[in-house]
Amino acid sequence: MDDKAAADQHARAARALPNIPQITTDKYLEAYRLMLLSRGFDERCTKMLAAGEAVPHFHSGAGQEALMVASVLPLRPTDQMIYTHRGYGHLLAKGVSLKEIALDTFMKAGGTNYGLGGNMHVARPDLGIPGREGVFGTRFGLAIGFALAASLRGDDAVTVCFYGEAAGARGPLYESLNMAVLWRLPIIYIAENNGWSFSSRTEWLFPHGRMSRVWRGFDIPVEEFDGNDPEVVYETVSRAVERARGGAGPSVLEGLTYRLDPHIWYDKATYQPAHEIAEWRRRDPMNIASQQLLSRGVAQSKLSEIAEMAKQDVTDTFEAVAAAPDATWTDTFEVTAR
Amino acid sequence: MSKISGRDAINAVLTSELKRDRHTVYLGETIRDIGATGASKGLYEAFGAKQVIETPVSENGFVGAALGLALSGFRPIVEIYSADFTLVVANEIISDIAKWRQQQARSGGLPITLRSWMGSNLGLGPDHSQSMESFFHHAPGLIIICPGTPGDMAGLLRAAIRCDEPVLLFEHRRIYDLVGPVSDDPDFMLEIGRGERIREGTDVTLVAWAWMRHVAMDAAEQLARESISAEVIDPKTIKPLDYVSIAESAQKTGRLVVAEEAPLTGNIGAEIVARISEMVDRPLKVSRVAMPDVIHPYSAKMEKEILPDIDTVCNTVRKLMRGEKTFPAMRTPWERLS
Repeated sequence: MDDKAAADQHARAARALPNIPQITTDKYLEAYRLMLLSRGFDERCTKMLAAGEAVPHFHSGAGQEALMVASVLPLRPTDQMIYTHRGYGHLLAKGVSLKEIALDTFMKAGGTNYGLGGNMHVARPDLGIPGREGVFGTRFGLAIGFALAASLRGDDAVTVCFYGEAAGARGPLYESLNMAVLWRLPIIYIAENNGWSFSSRTEWLFPHGRMSRVWRGFDIPVEEFDGNDPEVVYETVSRAVERARGGAGPSVLEGLTYRLDPHIWYDKATYQPAHEIAEWRRRDPMNIASQQLLSRGVAQSKLSEIAEMAKQDVTDTFEAVAAAPDATWTDTFEVTAR
Repeated sequence: MSKISGRDAINAVLTSELKRDRHTVYLGETIRDIGATGASKGLYEAFGAKQVIETPVSENGFVGAALGLALSGFRPIVEIYSADFTLVVANEIISDIAKWRQQQARSGGLPITLRSWMGSNLGLGPDHSQSMESFFHHAPGLIIICPGTPGDMAGLLRAAIRCDEPVLLFEHRRIYDLVGPVSDDPDFMLEIGRGERIREGTDVTLVAWAWMRHVAMDAAEQLARESISAEVIDPKTIKPLDYVSIAESAQKTGRLVVAEEAPLTGNIGAEIVARISEMVDRPLKVSRVAMPDVIHPYSAKMEKEILPDIDTVCNTVRKLMRGEKTFPAMRTPWERLS
């Protein structure tokens, strides 16, 4: 198939997707609140690091809130979500409390994994969050297992598998896509293209700097979208979710976004040019969200109220977590023996 | 009790277990026909595509999927085409399946049975002959079983499938065509972690499993003609291993020889010898019979020269009886590199 034929085929596939109504304003306000919590958590952790305090394995998701949160809101608790190591918005949007995430981050008792998994292995099977793989890349087979389970049960649960530049460069993605198409599984792959893989530009790792183009011609809809625009994210992911739920099979989506903060807590990110960060700050999803909400007729006072509440929530959470007891082996043995 | 081959014993257990529980699913390459080993003959016809899932040659994909299926309430049995290929999915097995419940602090079972044939059948070369148990022995969180007879294959496979833990079942190639008594009881199981004293003796304790169990029994027969009384123990389960039975025997005989098909360095025998030395309270003479640290050559003639056989076992025991040093048992140019 030549490029033109492939492009035509994809245009047809995109047109075949059902029309989904926009995110409702109520739901958008909830998304906004969760985005603020996510940003607030990252800012608080960044401040702690600056003050010389430890924030183990912290990977800030600042700049990616729209993609993380608005992608997950179309899901049901029975849908499975495999998240990435970066950011906490996916978890918040699927129903995990900020406190649980903070307890896991600081290796305290009472979180979801009792000091054994930290903030990269937050698990709430009851919410459709099974956990995350150890070495990036095996998530694609795992996701197939959840989607295959739904298919064997004959129910309409879907599986959403997020991935970044690292996991997306590993071979299991190919195997997973092949099986997803072969078995027409209810699975949505969402590439989070944030411009950087630690200190490597996405352009250095994937042709044209795009993580999904290689899958065109794979008999699967492939769609790039603006990952910083919550309305676009919600609608794009909703279409793919409804397509999968309706039995029409898998999709690959690629959200274009930007990592505003360094890769990990110890990274100084001197490789990230200031002008590039400044450019993307102008496209900060927090501002896009508030502008869109204002243009929907939501009062500024309402937005300020939500922001104030989120700020307070973050402060209260960090205070409570600082006072919480450390996780111990005893906790873990008790929990896993249940 | 019927007299059947190992291959037929496995087929009978798979048939009865797939019939018993429709959440038991079987995945693997070529299994819609007869599978790598011939053990899946007739399963697809009997149970259909919802329980017998033919996969592409995508071990990362389908072993990962087995984890997703198990977390979704299924009991996956996976056939790996050759045990050597478990290295392709060591990441899924060790980094995910073995660690999952601890890392995610998840209670409850994780019923995954990974079965494959392994070991030397002369002339299959370095990628279809290796003994794989020591590669996985080191990782916390896995049960490893190496049955030595058709009856044990049946009893331990059924126990593995019904067990709520992840199990690696390595079935030696030579036992597929071995004919022996197998229980007709559709619920017949052997206890995982329980070894068996298969010959009583007083002078030396021989420990051997899988095909080496038969070599050790033949060696014991030969030694008996020389008035050396060997006790033979087949641990059957490599992890958790029945150290207590071996220690009781070694306490009695004062001599311990582990005969193993795998290369010497870092093999299971090393662990057995170390632990039993710590467990008995009398001076103990120990030795290991193993393959030298070389690869399995494609030449069957050359391979025969490096595999432990009745003579190497007998010679080692004779040296122990005479109080001679047994190491190095064999020297090759390659071993200088290891």
